[in-house]
Amino acid sequence: MSEHLKAREAVIRALRDVPAFRRGLGFTLFLVVVGTTVNLVTPVFVQRIVDAGQFSDAIDRTAIMQSGTVALIGVALAALVNRRANIRLGVAATSGLHDMRTRTFGSLQRQSILVTQEERRGALVSRVTNDIERIQEFMEWGGVGLLVGVGRVILTIAVMLWYSVPLALLVVVATAVYVGMLLSFQRILGRAHDRARVAVADVLGTAGEAISGLPIIRAYGAERHVSAKLDRALEKEFKADFRASMLGNFLFATAEAFTGLITAGVIVLGITLGVAGNLTAGELIAFLFLVALLVDPVQTMVETVDGAQSAAAGLRRIFEVLDTPIDVVDAGVGGVPLPAGTLDVEVDGLSFAYGEGPLVLEEVTLNVARGERIAVVGETGSGKTTFTKLVARLIERDGGELRIGGVPIERIPFSSLRERVGFVPQEGFLHDATILENVRYGRLEATDDEVRQAFADLDLLDWLDSLPEGLATEVGERGSRLSAGERQLVALVRVWIREVDLLLLDEATSAVDPALEVSLRNAINRLLEGRTSLTVAHRLSTAEASDRVLVFDRGRLVEVGTHAELLERGGVYAAMHADWVVGTATV
Amino acid sequence: MSAPTTFGGVLRSGFRLIARFIKARPGGFAVAFAGSLTYAASILASSRVIGWVTDTVILDVLERGAEAAGLLWKAAAAVMAVSLAKSLGVVTRRVGAGWLQLKNRQDLRRRFVGHVLKLDMDWYNRQAVGNLISIGDADVSGSTFLLGPLPFALGATLLLIGTIVLVFILDPLLGVIAMGFIVVVVIIELRGAWVTFGLVAEIQARRGELAAAAHESFDGALTVKALGREQWETDRFTERSDRLRERLINITIVWESFKAAVQNVPAAAQIVIITFGVFRLADGLLTAGDIVSVAYLLSLLFWPIQLIGFVFFDLAASSAHWERIEAVFREQTYVRYGQTAAVDDDTGAAVSAAAVGFGYDETPVLTDVDIEIPPGRIVAVVGPTGSGKTTLAVLLARLWDPRTGAIRLDDRDLRDMAAGALPDEMAYVAQEAFLFDDTVRGNITLGVEVPDADVRRAADLANATPFVDELESGFDTQIGERGTTLSGGQRQRVALARALLRRPRLLILDDATSAVDPSVESRILHGLREADLPSTVVLVAYRASSIALSDEVLFVEDGRIVAAGPHDELLEQEPGYQRLLKAYEEDAAARAGGGA
Repeated sequence: MSEHLKAREAVIRALRDVPAFRRGLGFTLFLVVVGTTVNLVTPVFVQRIVDAGQFSDAIDRTAIMQSGTVALIGVALAALVNRRANIRLGVAATSGLHDMRTRTFGSLQRQSILVTQEERRGALVSRVTNDIERIQEFMEWGGVGLLVGVGRVILTIAVMLWYSVPLALLVVVATAVYVGMLLSFQRILGRAHDRARVAVADVLGTAGEAISGLPIIRAYGAERHVSAKLDRALEKEFKADFRASMLGNFLFATAEAFTGLITAGVIVLGITLGVAGNLTAGELIAFLFLVALLVDPVQTMVETVDGAQSAAAGLRRIFEVLDTPIDVVDAGVGGVPLPAGTLDVEVDGLSFAYGEGPLVLEEVTLNVARGERIAVVGETGSGKTTFTKLVARLIERDGGELRIGGVPIERIPFSSLRERVGFVPQEGFLHDATILENVRYGRLEATDDEVRQAFADLDLLDWLDSLPEGLATEVGERGSRLSAGERQLVALVRVWIREVDLLLLDEATSAVDPALEVSLRNAINRLLEGRTSLTVAHRLSTAEASDRVLVFDRGRLVEVGTHAELLERGGVYAAMHADWVVGTATV
Repeated sequence: MSAPTTFGGVLRSGFRLIARFIKARPGGFAVAFAGSLTYAASILASSRVIGWVTDTVILDVLERGAEAAGLLWKAAAAVMAVSLAKSLGVVTRRVGAGWLQLKNRQDLRRRFVGHVLKLDMDWYNRQAVGNLISIGDADVSGSTFLLGPLPFALGATLLLIGTIVLVFILDPLLGVIAMGFIVVVVIIELRGAWVTFGLVAEIQARRGELAAAAHESFDGALTVKALGREQWETDRFTERSDRLRERLINITIVWESFKAAVQNVPAAAQIVIITFGVFRLADGLLTAGDIVSVAYLLSLLFWPIQLIGFVFFDLAASSAHWERIEAVFREQTYVRYGQTAAVDDDTGAAVSAAAVGFGYDETPVLTDVDIEIPPGRIVAVVGPTGSGKTTLAVLLARLWDPRTGAIRLDDRDLRDMAAGALPDEMAYVAQEAFLFDDTVRGNITLGVEVPDADVRRAADLANATPFVDELESGFDTQIGERGTTLSGGQRQRVALARALLRRPRLLILDDATSAVDPSVESRILHGLREADLPSTVVLVAYRASSIALSDEVLFVEDGRIVAAGPHDELLEQEPGYQRLLKAYEEDAAARAGGGA
């Protein structure tokens, strides 16, 4: 029952929060009810003819033609009203969902969850695609049907009551019993469907990895192993699906049996009432039609309950996103823009944890002077990447102070921060477009010449010109037509063209070959002269070439100093460096 | 060949598709069809029962004062009997149809994946993997979807014909009227399904665009945020969502217009038939029960008649889905195997390449590659980014065949090896470790039956045991999609253990330890050298320390082997090799010089 309640809350909330759903809803519902009268025309028409004695006595042809014409006009009008009502429902649903979709997207764009929980990105994409589509589907098929069904049931029962209260009560009570039975079976059916869904996910996972892992499967001759695994998953899926459908089949078939039962009851009770003079023959015949009209929508409505639950679950997931407060808040127009010129960074007692997890950065304190070139090193998971993301304010610190150019970071408007502070991640994302367009994503107004110049600045023209079409080269989906190292080059140029005053490089050249990496670093150092930079690197040649090295270990800043000083100290850095020297020594 | 674009074309290809599925699972179809016939027959019967009840029970008793007693129970029994027959028909039909649909879906999905697993890498490389997966998922389900409602639609068609016949027998005039209405409704709904189907294709395209925009901006979230492009992304998404909304509203208007006609024409038909029926009654040609019976029958047709339109729509959709599957089935570029069996030697294999040339497309990647590797040697392949190292590795693993020349293992051309023979002798570890949604052990064995001690030994050698033992359930820990996430270096070590378990005669490592810390990597490579493995090793590497462990280096530049020899020799003789390997040292030296 709580599920039902939650579903109802979600629907009420959707109606409240999204005006497009509400617009003209009252009138639409009115049209829905009016439109359903089309189903009542025939029973009433038959009743009138029978009770006018037309079936047994001499007939009045004109009167029949007249009432037939009236009935036809009624049907035609109802059809038009039906159409209008359904279109209005469809338009309201589509427009409302469009609003929800774009709002959800905008909200996600402003949360740091996309940065902190990479593995959840797929699930978040489905918030704005699958979840919305499921709701749309439900509204088109189930939701509209539900509204129309409710209208039809109410009107049908009203007409029944008008004809005969006892007979109507028989039908209503029997139907209520039937609905109760359906609802309890529905729960069993729901569980069967849940099991089937798990089996389906297994099949998709197994089939998906068989296809995406083809090279490895072939290299290891594991075709038979993978096929056998898929066969097992497929068999399990078939059984789960077939079992769920069997349950559904029996549930579905009960409608016919129930119609029969109620019809038989109506005939028996109706004749009894009729003999006592409380019901006419026409009314009884009309009842037979009305019963046939009632069971269908009732059954559809019960089936819709299942769909409604999953649509409501989708709604709730979307509201969850919309309810999540924006954790990295833009200071906006009230903020303090960064001062002109090169920037320094002051860090005092900085701490950070992902969600409720343990601190991944603890009490980090240091100052980076204007124009200083800092290298940040440490093992995987030491907190060095988190540190640079905090400086770029891609995530929000949990404790301590952070100032850039003397301004507390939370007071700097994003417009100013993004313009002056550049961050290049290890895996910069490329759009499925040309190199030119990808670089221009960094500065929308950059001309072709400026883009070319940026490559020239970094001594990358040789590489650019070695591509078949230079700047016009298509990089493919996620840059797949370039190698990992080449993707990094484009991502670097994309930030470079912004001419920032504080540059943060997070293993931004980890995949390029050593000779090219050295050349890139030299170019950057030459051009950044006088500007501040923080470079995270696992190749320690970068540390050797920096002004100062920060060494992170298990979330703490454990060593700070020049390369030479730290070597001398014989601590964490010295050990890492020894490892590195062994790794790169050519003899 | 693309999806059929004419009405007749859709019907033809749809029927061919249906015939194929029915032939594959005739039993399911037969049961479903029998159920459907029972259902159609019992609907016709139920209308006759209502007619009989009207005449002999209701009108006789209430208007002509006949005795009700015995008749009542007879009427109730008759009504119940046809209802049970209907229920039975429904269950039988749905069980059969479910079997037909689900079994065909299962068969088709198995066949699709099996087929893809046999196709060569030339073909595979041209595909977007996501698209292939979606064919195996959505298109397979979509193409078999119509098998569910199909038997009902066939039954409904028979029911419509039966209705016309029944009404015609009762009264030819009413029969003609009923037929006229039914034909009109069917035409309207086929037309509606066809028009709507055309619009749906466009909506799917818009949905695709929208999903692509969402994927791009979420996958690239770090970049989007770092560049402050959130609003730009939101605007782009909104624009696409808006286009989708417009299309959806268009289709709603078209669809609802057809639907309004289809749903309401039967009601109009009832009225016309009753009106004319009363005239025929007055002429003594019909009984009142006949009229009620016909009207009642028409009201039972409301739903089946709508279903015919839906099924035609599904037919068109299924054909489109099937087209995408068939395009893959049409590909016959299978990997070819020869007859040569694997050798069960516990010795390294001799590897040779003679005049090997290769390109993924017209652009040559490797040219004139000649290699001779004696058994048991460790050979490093070194070269700048994009020089063809990985390509050489995948040719040795026979993921591709050379365009020219030949690669041999102990003088046997790789192309002559029997299916499954090469994996018995060779193991290949790629740059990016591919792990399955399975346990650590399952990922290492890939179905090979071996004692646990062997798995552990392989993991030891790959330096994987320390972190595996710390996992929740050790080697039984589920990894991959729904399990523990491993770091890049850990994934690489599991993949390496997978290769080592097989004690291959040729081991190919393509930068397979790049994410492992240098000290661990050197431990692994030293371990490999000292372990009693039978292997010849070919390793693609950047780190000088790994390279230094090799017996020989092949230096690759622009797709050619420009030098080969021991590391020290190349360092002295080959300027390109020296520049690459000494980049860091020289950089440090330059700084020291500049500083001094």
